[in-house]
Amino acid sequence: MWYVWDLSILLGALSIAIMLILILRRVLQERRGTANADQRRQLLTALIAFTENRDREALKAAILAVPAGVAINAGFEFLSLLRGAEHDDVLAAFKECGMPARVGRQLERGNVAERIHAAEMLAALDSEDASARLLSALAEDRSREVRIAAAIALSDLGSLPLLDFVLDNIGVAGQRSRRVIELFRRFPRTRFNELAVHASRADGVPVVRAAAIEALARAGGFGFADFFASLAGDASPEVAAAALRALGLTGHADAPSILASAMASDDLDVRADAADAAGRLGLSELAATLAGLMDDEVWTVRYAAANTLRSFGQPGEKMLRAMAASDVSRSQRTASLILAEGPAT
Amino acid sequence: MIADWSHQIVLTASILSWFIIGAGLAQTAIYLLQLIVAAYALSMRPPVARSALLWHRYGDVAPPIALLVPAYNEALNVVESVHSMLALEYPNFEVIVINDGSKDDTLQRLIDAFRLVKFHRPYEEELAHQPIRGLYSSPMTERLFVVDKENGGKADAQNAGINVCRAPVFCVIDGDSILEPDALMRAAQPFIDDPERTIAVGGTIRIANGSTIEAGRVREVHLPWRLLPLLQVVEYLRAFLMARLAWSRINTLMLVSGAFGMFRRAEVVAVGGFTKGSMGEDLDLVIKLHRHMRDTKRKYRIQFVPEPVCWTEAPETLSVLARQRTRWQRGALECFFRYRSMLFNPRYGRVGFLGFGHILIVDVLGPVAEVLGYILIPAFWLLGILSGEYLLAFTSLVFTYGVCVSVCSLVLEEAELQRFPRARDLAVLTAVAVIENFGYRQLNNFWRVKGWWQFLRGNQGWGEMTRTGLGGAKK
Repeated sequence: MWYVWDLSILLGALSIAIMLILILRRVLQERRGTANADQRRQLLTALIAFTENRDREALKAAILAVPAGVAINAGFEFLSLLRGAEHDDVLAAFKECGMPARVGRQLERGNVAERIHAAEMLAALDSEDASARLLSALAEDRSREVRIAAAIALSDLGSLPLLDFVLDNIGVAGQRSRRVIELFRRFPRTRFNELAVHASRADGVPVVRAAAIEALARAGGFGFADFFASLAGDASPEVAAAALRALGLTGHADAPSILASAMASDDLDVRADAADAAGRLGLSELAATLAGLMDDEVWTVRYAAANTLRSFGQPGEKMLRAMAASDVSRSQRTASLILAEGPAT
Repeated sequence: MIADWSHQIVLTASILSWFIIGAGLAQTAIYLLQLIVAAYALSMRPPVARSALLWHRYGDVAPPIALLVPAYNEALNVVESVHSMLALEYPNFEVIVINDGSKDDTLQRLIDAFRLVKFHRPYEEELAHQPIRGLYSSPMTERLFVVDKENGGKADAQNAGINVCRAPVFCVIDGDSILEPDALMRAAQPFIDDPERTIAVGGTIRIANGSTIEAGRVREVHLPWRLLPLLQVVEYLRAFLMARLAWSRINTLMLVSGAFGMFRRAEVVAVGGFTKGSMGEDLDLVIKLHRHMRDTKRKYRIQFVPEPVCWTEAPETLSVLARQRTRWQRGALECFFRYRSMLFNPRYGRVGFLGFGHILIVDVLGPVAEVLGYILIPAFWLLGILSGEYLLAFTSLVFTYGVCVSVCSLVLEEAELQRFPRARDLAVLTAVAVIENFGYRQLNNFWRVKGWWQFLRGNQGWGEMTRTGLGGAKK
């Protein structure tokens, strides 16, 4: 019997003790928060003053007068607003105050959010040992988010290791993140061939291959058109769809036949992207095939085909009108809807 | 003869007592499990990054999102709500307000405020809903669309919005709720980090009563001045920061709140959208998603992310709160019995055992057992079947355990969100965590039993949710 009383007294006392600790902790946090905000304001004022008077010693004194965490965060935000000589001067002051070393330590010892942020800051601070520290994080950090952030930072610094090494270290689960797209978008142009090799690997993760194709299409231009054409029939629908989207940007001599065949694919994304690419490239010779897609069982495919027909101008609109005036069917309804799109008259 | 009766009464009392004790112990075990898992989940989560960093990091790869806002008689708040939604910090989104046949001038206020004009937008009727009377767009912003349709209820309106939207991910939000500016960016994070598996994400719902609200934004967070919403603050903390965080960790999250939830459109369309006429359409949808993904043997994640916060107005009167709680109870029971074949069904794995087991113990049996306990335990004591010492000791244990669970959810709030800015707020919430065990908890269980009764009688009414509006300053 007494153990029930003991247990309830214990629970009650525990609850009160926990809440007292929390309240005390909060009071201390409030005080520290106010102090940090004041110091941050002081540093930002000094940074603004520096952009006018370029007094580096005064700025260094201001940086060293506030806690390192406050200086690093305020400095990083301020640096992201600056360009050119001003940026370089502020950066030099932060380097002379030993900030990169502190950020490096944060990359090793902080929690996950701090380590991701440290990777970004190291790229911005561009210190001598930044690449080495980031490489170590890419290879050893236990969080995949940190490893991806390290890879992106290395890419920004122009020190990205071989892509296979990077992707191996990011791991299969990490490769499924959309952050990989960000990595590929920042990939050095001189090494685009590595992206192409990875995109063509049949055993690669389809999401990564598609992201590589997208990055190449955005920045690589027509030079990769043959490559995109070769991947348009890839066994992975995700890769094929990405290749078709890329073809829609670059164009290709064989685009009409490639797109026509893709429009007969079993995969709805491939069919929709093929229809879309035809519109981007203005391939009006595909009008008849597109008209066939207007009867597709999937709305997104019908909508893409109808939009493309409309983008062909008068001939396309004429076809749509004829369809809209025909007997009730999927294509008739789609044509009517697409012709009516826009402000009501 | 009398001895026989006496024996029968004692036997019945024993059976009932064991039922009450069993249900209580099961609930206790569930809360303990939730606490442990939630604490573990929190320790494994990266601490919150600042909004500016999120934008810098994810801005280019964030998926397009359609914000679906069903509005029924929301004339009081709708314009301000839409303004605040249009000002959200997200790179690629559109706001689709669905006027569900409002009887007040909700639509006219929107037309006037945003100079709406009728617009034709092609869409496929993939989900059934009441007829759409017209679509409107605004020359002031290309992010806003308004769907005017005949009344069909919240689920019907949401289905219409899903049909009209084109984004691969949509977010449902109540017309009278306020999203924090970075809420979409934070809630979209699982769709960025794990785009293949993530099919739904829920965020935290917080009570805005008492806070200072200006131009559709919560400018200063304060605790409510009135006791009833204050009690609900602790309740919401427990529900979101403890229960949902825990179930999300083990991928058995059964509820993504209809007041703020993000879903992948394709999967929602595949399960037929929100179930019309359902009392708990949000719970119903998540169960359907679990069932669909398990049936099709696809890997998936339904996640709860604590950081994105949606502020909502809590009922301030007993009658409105009672209607809300009986409706929630009916919703839970309706879903439980509709999908009962999933309960303890090995085909549905932990969803069938843990998720449905939780609904069974907490929502189906819990309120009945607790109310029976309130009535029968003192009765047994009066009849001399139960000793007074036991009565007092166990009553004290039940209450201190309740306080301890609430306090632990406050610890989670402190560790994760810290949305209450002053230390004094914590002290107030501690007092509330104690007070709620004396009266409010019992009242809540009474409403839930009433919900049971209404469910058995087939009562399908939603009841009026009287709003005072969040638009003003302190309330």
